[in-house]
Amino acid sequence: MMSIVRTYEEINDRIRKKQAVVVTAEQMSDIVAQEGVTAAAKKVDVVTTGTFGPMCSSGAILNVGHSTPRMKITKAWMNGVATYGGIAAVDLFLGATELAAGDPANWVFPGRFTYGGGHVIEDLVSGRAIELRAEAYGTDCYPLKEWRKPVKLADLPYAYLLNPRNGYQNYNVAVNATAKRTIYTYLGVLKPNMGNAGFSSAGQLSPLLNDPFYRTIGVGTRIFLGGGVGHVYAAGTQHNPDVPRTEDGVPRGGSGTLAVTGDLKQMSARYLRAASIAGYGVSLAVGIGVPIPILDEEMARFTAVRDRDIVAPVIDYSRGYPHNEGEPLAEVTYEQLRAGTIEVQGKQVRTASLSSYARAREIAGQLKEWLEKGDFLLAKPVDPLPGAAWQGNRLKL
Amino acid sequence: MKQQGALLHFPQTLVGVPLVSEVVRNYDVEVNILQASITQTEAGRMFALFQGEAQAVEGALQFLRDHQIRVVLSPRNVLWDEDKCVDCGACVGQCFRGALSLDPQSYRLQIDHEKCRACELCVPACSYGAIEALGNTTNGNGDA
Repeated sequence: MMSIVRTYEEINDRIRKKQAVVVTAEQMSDIVAQEGVTAAAKKVDVVTTGTFGPMCSSGAILNVGHSTPRMKITKAWMNGVATYGGIAAVDLFLGATELAAGDPANWVFPGRFTYGGGHVIEDLVSGRAIELRAEAYGTDCYPLKEWRKPVKLADLPYAYLLNPRNGYQNYNVAVNATAKRTIYTYLGVLKPNMGNAGFSSAGQLSPLLNDPFYRTIGVGTRIFLGGGVGHVYAAGTQHNPDVPRTEDGVPRGGSGTLAVTGDLKQMSARYLRAASIAGYGVSLAVGIGVPIPILDEEMARFTAVRDRDIVAPVIDYSRGYPHNEGEPLAEVTYEQLRAGTIEVQGKQVRTASLSSYARAREIAGQLKEWLEKGDFLLAKPVDPLPGAAWQGNRLKL
Repeated sequence: MKQQGALLHFPQTLVGVPLVSEVVRNYDVEVNILQASITQTEAGRMFALFQGEAQAVEGALQFLRDHQIRVVLSPRNVLWDEDKCVDCGACVGQCFRGALSLDPQSYRLQIDHEKCRACELCVPACSYGAIEALGNTTNGNGDA
């Protein structure tokens, strides 16, 4: 155990005084390279991270307020998109991937998926009116059976983004290795014979990739979410810390995830965008930024991670992924992915990102500004995310 | 020599009249039709590149306007809505000609309109509706 360089309380004190030294994850990599881990750990208080990409496990928990007479909603639709009403009287859950009633999906292949839950969320955040339609079986205390009215976000007494799985710590790279035709996946439109590859991660800017063992990101961590302030409320679904890792502890494929929530009324469509993924469905692109306190030299080393240090598995999405079979075809670095070409089984394959690096950088920069201005304090986790059993060489100076 | 891209909207009444042939015959311009959606019973839409002496090209376009064709000048083969674009780069992976790229410094999307041939492969790859190819047919399906 190395000596602690600073505590959350000390950092927050400096933040309140507008004296915190805050850099983005990209800047930290440069500082550590130029000045060394020890000097960087002494100098930097907080490293900001960011990511912006489609995150399908997203939605909103809404309370639509009471009608007169009151109603115990069993089914409700927002602009034709079904919501889940099996919770209380006027609480609803709206999922990002739900399609509008009557949407043809991919009956006419591959399908455009022009409107779904993600679009309702973007419409709400943008201040547009949504038609709410609801049905109920009626009770003595909640007699109303049908309700239809326009609502805007400001009319809803309560509207929170509730995303059970966001911010994946690394992920797959997809290719089409065996299909004779183009396939349409959530990692892109993939041409036959490994004609192209799709990936989705902010890499060196990504929150969990900068804190690979979840030392500082846990339950209660305060974050930038969709343009406003949110929190991590738990590990996300499919959170899996026990995966093969590099010597520096970076997972070699999809690993940890975050469950996040925040007040939709603070958010903006710049960081919360509906996605119509051709041939696949509707999703929601979510912007997340997580501040990482530099508690000690190990955190300085972790936040110095660069794209060339992060590897990802290339998976065949024509047969291997859909049928849970086969091994990765290759392992490539994010530096290679971002440069535009990777080599898979001797072939040069053009790559495309589904996650916006430019916007991830913008988010990390925005969070840096909030911290420097004293507008955002760090929240020490009240409980950790489930950790990794791997105990390998944790510190290499 | 001038090359001018133009999106032409033909009203249904004119669909049977060979106006493009007249343009080629009378104005000494090359007309390269890149995309067209025209049937006898509907209004039509055509995106073409007109090439020739500047005066000839302008004369040809005015001739079309005089015949009730709506002419929308467009140096571009694709319409890129910068407000909708999130700079992810998904479209870049589809472009055979290298017309789409992410700037290596800013990672913002760059479009080289000279290289673009409106093949429309980038259109379904964009999840945010930020790219529209001008010759796009109206079946709404997004197939290239």
